[in-house]
Amino acid sequence: MRPIYYVDEAGLARLLEAVEADEVFAAVRRDRGIEYCNLRARPDETLALREPRPAASPKAFLQPVRERVAVYSAAGVDADRSCPACSRRVLVGLRACDLKAVEYLDKVFREGDFKDPFYEARRESDVLISVDCVAVHENCFCTAVGGSPFAEAGFDLNVTPLDDGYLVEVGSDQGQALLDRAGDALREASEAEQRERQERRAASVQQLHEQTGGWRVSDRIQEALLSKDDAQGWGEQTTACVECAACTFICPTCHCFYLYDQAGGEAEFERIRTWDSCILGDYHRMAGPVGAKPSPRPGLRTRLANRLLHKYAYSPEQYGMLGCTGCGRCIEACYGGIDIRQVLKEIDR
Amino acid sequence: MTQAVEANPYAPQVARLSRVIEETPTIKTFCFDLEEPLQFRAGQFVQLGVPGLGEGPFTPSSSPLEPAHLEVTVLRTGEVTDRLHRMEAGDACTLRGPYGKGFPIEKLEGKDVLVVGGGVGLAPLRALIYKLLSMTDRLGRVAIKNGARETAELLFRRQYEAWASRDSVSLEITIDKPEPSWDGHVGVVTTLLDKLPQEIDIAGCYAFTCGPEIMLKFVTQKLLEQGLTPEQIYLSMNRRMSCGVGKCGRCNIGPYYLCKDGPDICYAKIKDYPNVFP
Repeated sequence: MRPIYYVDEAGLARLLEAVEADEVFAAVRRDRGIEYCNLRARPDETLALREPRPAASPKAFLQPVRERVAVYSAAGVDADRSCPACSRRVLVGLRACDLKAVEYLDKVFREGDFKDPFYEARRESDVLISVDCVAVHENCFCTAVGGSPFAEAGFDLNVTPLDDGYLVEVGSDQGQALLDRAGDALREASEAEQRERQERRAASVQQLHEQTGGWRVSDRIQEALLSKDDAQGWGEQTTACVECAACTFICPTCHCFYLYDQAGGEAEFERIRTWDSCILGDYHRMAGPVGAKPSPRPGLRTRLANRLLHKYAYSPEQYGMLGCTGCGRCIEACYGGIDIRQVLKEIDR
Repeated sequence: MTQAVEANPYAPQVARLSRVIEETPTIKTFCFDLEEPLQFRAGQFVQLGVPGLGEGPFTPSSSPLEPAHLEVTVLRTGEVTDRLHRMEAGDACTLRGPYGKGFPIEKLEGKDVLVVGGGVGLAPLRALIYKLLSMTDRLGRVAIKNGARETAELLFRRQYEAWASRDSVSLEITIDKPEPSWDGHVGVVTTLLDKLPQEIDIAGCYAFTCGPEIMLKFVTQKLLEQGLTPEQIYLSMNRRMSCGVGKCGRCNIGPYYLCKDGPDICYAKIKDYPNVFP
């Protein structure tokens, strides 16, 4: 097992300054809440690692909202401009649920017959520094979907905020190399500090249990969802949903995208990849005569059902894991006030 | 192409049309003579597009045995296909693929094969028919059933005679409504399946069908009524796809992505999931 280190507040800042990177995106406190901010551009921002998870997941770093994936002309594809170009980047403040989502996205984009070279390049080069949740958001329910508020794998470094200072656990050689550059800021953690880490982790788990009332998404959820009649039972949600797709855009595992072509330079075209959402009516729509555009899921209720089915019934078959990390972000994002915990509880009775 | 671009599944190659064949008032076949042959299995699809406008998933209608000469048969029905239909020999198209699994040819050894097409649905099935015709000595009987709205919309009519000239191959054509000049069968394509048990070995055959989804629904129902099991029925379903490689999400039926696990998918796999048919 790799050693666990102690670093004080100033030491952590020094560690992040010493990192060899073009961008260091860290969770910081802003007036409107916790957000990721590039410390290289704004070195005076205050790290917010003791707060609940940020409202946005780090998904957009790995899979940007909009990205050019190819440039071509009538003569053919421009190879040099149709491949990934990454900056050296460190992401600081990812939660255990975020790492779970990265694990999920890895399965989508890095496995199978075709790999996504853009995602792949970012995953190869990005350094991930996660942080234990010592404060839990009221919408968090990671323990109900098999998660926990602290990470045990998937990070380069993991940070546990203590009352005074932080403990840092190394998860990879890349993480170790990072620590080596800030060597004098660190010392091995004492037993008492490691005990405090255990206590803080246990306290967060306890709070989550209280918050969820011990509720867990059961193994029956797949069957329950599939047996739910498509034409019935989605009425309440259908009335509340305003089809804004915020739930899918805020979700750390939702990864649907759309490719479209546009004019680039003179006699040149670009292929752009942009986020898309299964909630939107045009998402599945096929070509057809005006007025008769066929869609396999024309009704909102079938699209809402498909989203839940994908998260809790199809993903286990496709990727061996749920498509939900219990981060609860979709709950605060929903304009219609749909609470996915309530929806699941009603289905999974 | 360089290795970097080959590793980018979203980057198209640019291919120039060598010929455009007007098949029917609404359907054209786009032909390419490719420098680098596009090796595909019957049923696999390509993303064919108009530079700067976009692309769509189409299963080639040409023979997988002639990969340097690619043909894609397209119904004019939307923005991209409308622009495609206005293109001529020499014009540049975007092209990538092949994607998907293709028809399970390996299962057909010694079996009877039923092919049911409707409208432009005969296009992907023609790639299968070419393949089947190349291996008739290893197959049982091959029954081809094809339907169209009207005679003017019958696809690949020039080839029917050649297909049906083989001893082990039968071909039946129908149109939806009577026409003065037509003395053939009239009725939807499912009406050609009434005498199926006299034509092929129901228990040991495989059926492949492609057409409008509503037709797939009724063909599937009919085949089940005739005693085929869901395992024997393959549906060719090119729903809306964007990436073509199982990542963008939109073409799912249950946990399967039609682009990756299809587009020719066994009915047994999907039948218990929602939104299979309209």
